[in-house]
Amino acid sequence: MAVMRMGYMHVRVTDLAEAKDHYANTVGLYQTLEQDGRVYYKGWDEWDHHSVVIEEGGVGYVKCGFKCEKPEDVADIETKAIAYGYPVERMVAGENPEVGDGIRVTLPTGHQIEFYSQMTAWGLEVGTHNPDAFPRHMVGIGAPRLDHALLWVDDVAGIEKFFMECTGMWATERVQTSLDDDAHTIATWLTIGESNHDIALLEAPENKIHHFAFEMRGWSDILHAADIFAMDDTPIDIGPTRHGITRGTTIYFFDPAGNRNETFSGGYRCFRDRPTVVWTPDQLGKAIFYHQRELNDRFLTVAT
Amino acid sequence: MPKLTVEAHGVSVELRDDETILEGLYRNGFAYRIGCRRGGCAICKVDLLQGEVFYNRPVADSVLSESERAGGTCLSCRAVAVTDVSIAMREDDDLRRVSTLMALYAASRTG
Ligand code: FES
Ligand SMILES: [Fe+2]
Repeated sequence: MAVMRMGYMHVRVTDLAEAKDHYANTVGLYQTLEQDGRVYYKGWDEWDHHSVVIEEGGVGYVKCGFKCEKPEDVADIETKAIAYGYPVERMVAGENPEVGDGIRVTLPTGHQIEFYSQMTAWGLEVGTHNPDAFPRHMVGIGAPRLDHALLWVDDVAGIEKFFMECTGMWATERVQTSLDDDAHTIATWLTIGESNHDIALLEAPENKIHHFAFEMRGWSDILHAADIFAMDDTPIDIGPTRHGITRGTTIYFFDPAGNRNETFSGGYRCFRDRPTVVWTPDQLGKAIFYHQRELNDRFLTVAT
Repeated sequence: MPKLTVEAHGVSVELRDDETILEGLYRNGFAYRIGCRRGGCAICKVDLLQGEVFYNRPVADSVLSESERAGGTCLSCRAVAVTDVSIAMREDDDLRRVSTLMALYAASRTG
């Protein structure tokens, strides 16, 4: 298997001090580096050097990276992406601190996606020798790991095809205009392995990031996270609730720059021969927010 | 305490010092279409018709450009009034009263 997971998400924040407080003390990530106006974090259940990068100045998406198993996997994606017609450039070790050689693909939307196979090992916070179940002194919501992101793009089908043909991902769920074969794809949830999604794409007039998500250890941790958000005056967009799509339990919330974050837990195992679930627009409310069964006025309109 | 007026809706509320326009309206029992409440998504823009505001945090140019500022666009979740201000909502029916109780209580506290 070529790509293993979404390895990092890099976003801009308007106020670095406030954002640091959010990602360290509310989300509970561990700072591993601060350099050139950027701060690098990892979750307690991650072993690589970083999974979240924040950069002062502006707001919104900078880039994200997918970690591949071997350098040959990156080379394979490079060949396929060039053949697919998307601009590809090489990146060298150290261009991103503690990240090895790789490639950078620019989607037609302008979103940059990096693929790499090596990052400095940091280690799990619980270690790997007779480890405990979680760190004894977790901070904030204690987010264990980065899970996925949802991008706003103006051509879902084209970019979905890129991920499927060049990276080996496949769609676990889709929203499309009808059940017909020639239906227009409004949104797609793409996976590498057995989780519901590593990246999702939603049709929108602008090319932005809708949210990036941390995987939590179940519904009780999601509820606990919401309590922490109340204590820290973190704006909650919606939740705790469940998505119809993926069946995952969720909270959408915002960082101090207005970037949307998510805590996500659950979903179901997705084997590659599993049939893709299809939702139609008349059921979009239930698909997105399973209990409320209607969209709020932010889901389709707010992104950074 | 600066006064905030939304004339088209017949609304007038007192703003606390350091309170954003968004916070003042919500504390008084009003709601309108907002997003992140943190200056990132641009959805809470209103038109500043009169008065002056300052921004209590840096606001990204991609959210509110210089020319928009000059033209009277105001990012209500980050804007704090320094004088009495008068604003207009971007969509006429956007501002709604969701809590009469909060309005009454806010009035009794500031009146
Ligand atoms: S609510 Fe997002 S910028 Fe004001
Ligand atoms: Fe998500």
